Amino acid sequence: MQSMVVTHDLTKTFRRPDGSEVQAVKGVELEIHKGEIFSLLGPNGAGKTTTISMMSGLLEPTQGDALIGGHSISKQPLQAKRLIGVVPQDIALYPSLNARQNLEFFGKMYDLRGNDLSGRVEEVLSFIGLTDRQKDKVDTFSGGMKRRLNVGVGLLHRPELVFMDEPTVGIDPQSRRRILDTVKQLRDEQGMTVLYTTHLMEEAQELSDRVGIIDHGEVIALGTQGDLIQQVGEEDQLVFAVGDQAVDSGLLQQIRDQVPGVTRTSYDPPGPGGESVTNTSGLILIQAKRGRKALPDILQITNRAGVEIQSVEVREPDLEAVFLNLTGRALRD
Amino acid sequence: MKVLQIAINDLRLFMVNRGNLVGLLAIPVGMTIILGIFIPSGRPSRIRVDLIDHDAGEVSAQFLQSLRQANSSIVLCPLDNDPEDFCQMEGDSTLGTEQALERVREGDSLALIEIPPGFSEQVRAFEPVRIRYVSLESFSAPSFIRQAVEAALTRVNGAVIASRIGAAVLPGSIVDEGYPQRVYTRAAELWEESPASVDFVLSAGEAPDPSSAPDLGGFGQSVPGMGSMFALFTVLGGMGILVGEKKQWTLQRLATMPITRAQLLGGKILSRFSLGTLQYGVVFAIGVVTGINFGRDLVALVLVILTFTLTCTALSFALGGFLKNEQQAAGVTNLLGLTLAPLGGAWWPLELVPPFMRVVGHVSPVAWAMDSYTSLMFRNGELQDVLVPLLVLAGMSAALFGFGIKRFRYEL
Ligand SMILES: Nc1ncnc2c1ncn2[C@@H]1O[C@H](COP(=O)(O)OP(=O)(O)O)[C@@H](O)[C@H]1O
Ligand SMILES: [Mg+2]
Repeated sequence: MQSMVVTHDLTKTFRRPDGSEVQAVKGVELEIHKGEIFSLLGPNGAGKTTTISMMSGLLEPTQGDALIGGHSISKQPLQAKRLIGVVPQDIALYPSLNARQNLEFFGKMYDLRGNDLSGRVEEVLSFIGLTDRQKDKVDTFSGGMKRRLNVGVGLLHRPELVFMDEPTVGIDPQSRRRILDTVKQLRDEQGMTVLYTTHLMEEAQELSDRVGIIDHGEVIALGTQGDLIQQVGEEDQLVFAVGDQAVDSGLLQQIRDQVPGVTRTSYDPPGPGGESVTNTSGLILIQAKRGRKALPDILQITNRAGVEIQSVEVREPDLEAVFLNLTGRALRD
Repeated sequence: MKVLQIAINDLRLFMVNRGNLVGLLAIPVGMTIILGIFIPSGRPSRIRVDLIDHDAGEVSAQFLQSLRQANSSIVLCPLDNDPEDFCQMEGDSTLGTEQALERVREGDSLALIEIPPGFSEQVRAFEPVRIRYVSLESFSAPSFIRQAVEAALTRVNGAVIASRIGAAVLPGSIVDEGYPQRVYTRAAELWEESPASVDFVLSAGEAPDPSSAPDLGGFGQSVPGMGSMFALFTVLGGMGILVGEKKQWTLQRLATMPITRAQLLGGKILSRFSLGTLQYGVVFAIGVVTGINFGRDLVALVLVILTFTLTCTALSFALGGFLKNEQQAAGVTNLLGLTLAPLGGAWWPLELVPPFMRVVGHVSPVAWAMDSYTSLMFRNGELQDVLVPLLVLAGMSAALFGFGIKRFRYEL
C-alpha cells in the first residue's frame, strides 16, 4: 500500500507567556495510505489541530518531520503544500467578500488561472451547493453554509490529500450529513486521501478506513476499527449517571469483586473532565463481559450503598470503549 | 505575481468597508481644511536671527534698522529680545561667537550676523568691510534672511555713496564740516521713502491678494502635516487588519498554501504602503486645490512621501507582532498617531516649540518628514537639502523592518 503521509517523531512544544511549556504533540508516528479516510479521534485539547497545523506547514515542528507524498513539509514546503487541501477547524474566509470572490482569491494562491480557475470555482460551488448564493457576502451565510464554503476552498485545486479539522463543529444536522457524505464522495469518486479529525466517535466510526486515537498529544492506538475493538475484547460498557452524588472507591471495588463478568470500574466525576470538557453528571463506568446480565447485580449494590442511579446505558464494544479502556475516561463532547 | 494578488485582495478588503473610506477621505480632508483655515499662516510670524555687533556704531545701527524694515519677521537676538525670552537666551544678555554658531547648527536660530569692530568707521571711509553671515540653509536655495541682509547693506552702502558723491562734487566753500553727514542723513531718508524691502514670501507662486482672497497660507503647514499624520494612521491601521486576519484564520489558511513567506509579507507590505501613499495623495490634493507651494523639486518631494510611508509601514510591522486583538491594535494606532504626529511637528511647526522638545521630537519619524517638507516647500530647497532626513527615515525603516519581519508569526 502506497503511503501519502508519513510522520516521524512529530513533536510540538508551546511556550506560554508565563514561561511554562505545553507539550501539545509528543512524538507522533503516523502513516496515512493513499486513497483512505484516516480519522484522528481524540477529545478537545488532545493535539489534533496542532498535528494538522504542523503537517500543513502552518506550524514549525519542535522536533520531527512529516513527509507529504515524499516531500518534507519543513524542507520542501512548496512542493508538499501543493498536494494538500486544508479545511481548518476555524472558518477561514473573508466575511466581507462574497463566496465567489473568496474562492477566486484562494484559487489564485494555488496557481489556478483564467478558465481553469473559473471552471474550478463553478464546480466547487455546485459541489458544495452554493451556486445560487455565490454573489452573497459570506457575512450573510448561515453557519452550515460557511462550513461548506470552508470545505470548498480546501478542494479548489483538486488536491490529492485533504486535511479536514473537525469540519462539522457547531452546525445543523443537515449540513453535517452533507459534509460527511462529501467526505466519502471525495474518497470514492475522486480517489482523494482524507485526514479527518474529530472528537465524535460516531463520525470516526462512519467514515474511517483506519483510526488513530490521540490523547494528551500521543497516538495511543492505531488501526482499522476492527483491530481496535478487538483490543478491548468482547466486553460491553455500562454507563451509570449519578449526578453529583459522591461515589467512593469502596463501592467500585465492591462491584468489581462481587459481580461476575466485571473487569474494570471507574468513576468520572462531574465538572471539568478531559481537557476542556465539562460533564454535568458524575458517571460510573463499568466494563463487563455480558453487560446486560451484570446489570441487576450492580443496581443492587448501588441501592444498598444509597447511590441513586439516574440513567443507565449499555454500549456494545465500539471506539468509545477502546478510548475508555486505554484512558479510563469517557470520550465526550 | 502572488505578491500583487495578495496586495490587491487586501486593498479590496479595505475598500469594501465603508468605515475605512470615511477614515481615508472624509476625516483627513476635513481636518486638513479646518486646520488650514484656522492657522492663519503656516509659519511662525517671527524668526530668530542671532546678532553679534562688535561695532555698535551709527552705521551698524542704521544697517540693523534697515534689516528690521526689510523683513519685519526677523527678531535680532539678543538685541530685540522680548520679556518672554523669544530669543531663548535663558538669562544670558550677550552671545559669544561659539555659542551663536552652536545655536545655528542646532537650528535654534536661523542665522548669525556678525558685524566686525570698526564697521561704521570703515564704511564711512569707503574701506572694504565684510559682515559675517552664517546659516544652515544651502547656498543654492534662495534665503529670505540673506536677501534681507543684502537689501539692508545696499541701503547702507547707497547712503554712504551718496554722501561721498556729494562731498566730492561740490565746491569746498559750500561744503562745511557737517555737510557729508547731512547728505548721508538725507540719502538715508530718501532710501527710507522707497525701502528695498524683501518680504518673507510664503509661496513662490503668486502672493494671494489679502483683501479679496482668503488667507490660504495655513495650508502650507496643514497639508504636509495632516498628510503625514493620516498616512501614519492609515498605515498603522493595517496592524488591526492583520490581527483580524489572524483571528478569522485567513492568514493561517494562506500559510498552508503554496506561497513563500516572502510573497506573503511582500503582499502585506505592498498593500499598506499603497494605502499610505494613497492617503498622502488625498491630502496633498487639497494642497493642489488651495494652490500651496510644493517647491521646485517635485522628485525630492515624492521621495520624501514614499520614504516616510515606508517608515510607517515598517513601524506597523515591528509593532504588529505584539498585538493580540483589534482593540489593542486600535489603541496602539491612536496612541502612536496622536503622539508621534504632534511631537514631530505635524500639528504646528517645530520652530515654535522649545529646543529641548525639538530634539525629543526627532524620535518621531514625522519630524524628519516635516523637516524635509519645510526645506522643500518653504525654503525652496532641493534633494540635497533633504538627504539627511531621508537617510534617517530609510535607516529607521530598515531597522524596524528587520525586527518586524523576524518576529512575524502567522498565529496570534
Ligand atoms: N498557540 C498555543 N500556545 C499554547 N498552547 C497551545 C497553543 N495551541 C494549542 N495549545 C495547547 O495544545 C494542546 C493541544 O491543542 P489542540 O491541538 O488545539 O487540540 P485539539 O485540536 O485536539 O482540540 C492544548 O492543551 C492547547 O491548549
Ligand atoms: Mg482542534
